[in-house]
Amino acid sequence: MSDSATATPESQYTERVLLTERKDWEINQAVLQPMIQTGRRFWVLVAGLTAVVTWGVFAWGYLVYWGIGVTGKNRPVYWTLFITTFVFWIGISHAGTMISAVLRLLKADWRRPITRGAEAMTAFALMMAGLYPLIHLGRVWKFYWMIPYPNNRLMWPNFQSPLMWDLVAISTYLIGSTLYLYLALIPDMAMARDHTGGLRYKLYRALALGWRGTEAEWHKLHRALGIFSIAIIPIFLSVHSIVSWDFAVTVQPRWHSTIFAPYFVVGAIYSGLSALATILVLVRKGMRLQEFLRSEHFDALGKLVMVAGLGWIYFWFAGFLVEWYGNEPVVRELIRQEVSGPLAPLFYLQMSANLIPVALLAFRKVRTTPRLLLGVTLLVNVGMYTERLLIVIGSLQRNDIPFNWGTYRPTWVEISIVAMTFAGFALLYTLFSRIVPYVPVWEIKEGRLRYTLRRIGRLLVPTAAEIE
Amino acid sequence: MSDPAVSLIALFHEGTQTAEAIDELHSLGIPDDKMVVMTGVPYPERALGRGREWLTLPYIVLAGAVGGFFFGVFLAVVTPHLYRLDVGGHPPVGFPPAAVIVFVFTMMATIVSTFLGVLWEMNFPRFGAAPYHKLVTDGHLALLLECAPSLEAGVRKVLEEHDAHHVGEPERMML
Repeated sequence: MSDSATATPESQYTERVLLTERKDWEINQAVLQPMIQTGRRFWVLVAGLTAVVTWGVFAWGYLVYWGIGVTGKNRPVYWTLFITTFVFWIGISHAGTMISAVLRLLKADWRRPITRGAEAMTAFALMMAGLYPLIHLGRVWKFYWMIPYPNNRLMWPNFQSPLMWDLVAISTYLIGSTLYLYLALIPDMAMARDHTGGLRYKLYRALALGWRGTEAEWHKLHRALGIFSIAIIPIFLSVHSIVSWDFAVTVQPRWHSTIFAPYFVVGAIYSGLSALATILVLVRKGMRLQEFLRSEHFDALGKLVMVAGLGWIYFWFAGFLVEWYGNEPVVRELIRQEVSGPLAPLFYLQMSANLIPVALLAFRKVRTTPRLLLGVTLLVNVGMYTERLLIVIGSLQRNDIPFNWGTYRPTWVEISIVAMTFAGFALLYTLFSRIVPYVPVWEIKEGRLRYTLRRIGRLLVPTAAEIE
Repeated sequence: MSDPAVSLIALFHEGTQTAEAIDELHSLGIPDDKMVVMTGVPYPERALGRGREWLTLPYIVLAGAVGGFFFGVFLAVVTPHLYRLDVGGHPPVGFPPAAVIVFVFTMMATIVSTFLGVLWEMNFPRFGAAPYHKLVTDGHLALLLECAPSLEAGVRKVLEEHDAHHVGEPERMML
């Protein structure tokens, strides 16, 4: 198949026409076969990722054994690569809900093949994010002190602390997104149960919970997904707002800002949507899902990334303008460090990696050519990771007490642990794509029921049936 | 004592045939609650000529949300008085942090009660043998029904007139 959307209206929907003509059993097989047949390259990938994860676990063990001093953490930079990467993963987790819940409510048909991949991305990114507060503690075994239960030490969590808000908000989002992912998965587990044997059959049977596809079951599932879609939107907005308040409620220059919550949320959406596009391009190729993940999906996703990018530029400028205008000594020094000081390479990397993609995504060819989209969206996440480095580490190097200024250098322990979560995410995602139908089969079939291709003059146009 | 009811399953290729067969079975005197339609795709409500089912799920969700709200209030407003900790010159309980905690617990309970509520409504998990046909997930519509033995011949005739296949006693499969 061609890599880009071609110019003629006829061929634009070639894959869609093919899908429309497919029988249901053919769609089942088209999704199940790439899951079941794993080649040598797959196992090489799994082995490589497992090796990185193992090395990272060793580094974490080293940290636990020798103490937090083996990291570069020191006055005044007490939040380092761990918190930077924590914020990054929370950001990545946002697109799952954005795509799945918002587009489900808006009845956007193009969401169908990508919702499961997006929801899985949310769940796995949150799992990786959730590790960082534990790692950052150093004494990870003291974690249970944050759980509110009556104890003989008369210790109780401080609910006025944003770190407690983090704990409850991230737990809520993780629970919510995992249940949302699973609920929409039940009918496809039944489909997989009906078409597999052995261990896979046992697994799918357990996860299908006895699903038969009766009208009542479908009706209840639809209602529950509708409620989930509404309830999870304020949760996803709250999670990154709360993460931003970890910073904004302090009196640290450049953090103490009322605009931080929406700035973080928009940045998270920009970064998360880009990560989703990156993953979809890779999975599409790796699992031969060209028929399901088509150029029209990349086109729509690319437009969303572009809009989120414009939002990020607006919020970044709104914050920067006010800080520059205030001209407070420490803020001025921090801006100088970024614009013409030692942080300049990172600053210009951040700006170019976030601005250039927005301009490139204005071109349809970039949005619909998977290789170009892959490059552009990877660039966005380089920019967004750099942005978090500048916010977390860059800002902490200067503060209101000049004798307490300092410079941070990461150690091999921190770099290894960060690499562990990137590899861990990729590993979980890779395994997930071979265990669970990556494309929501029932949603695809439902889409075929409700949407048809209609000829208007020389054009072949997707047409929707307005039914609940 | 009347004869035990006869169970039948029939598979259809498409929804219109199924809906027409259901209409005629209604005319034969088979009530809606004696028919179950199984599909691999969610058909729009009433597309198959069946009534809309009443759900208690929204009430379960509402109850969960209210429970979560009060649990959040308990943690954020009541417990700081039991374990007093003065921080940053703020009172032990302040509206902004309490609002965050109460909001998050309300939403957590809403989500969890939606999930548990829908499982409860669907009577899940329901492992074990149940009338089913694997062709359902391959795109066939399965009509499962119970009727009096005296109606069986009429029912079979209606089903066959609407191109039903695999008409017969349903196989109970391990789900």
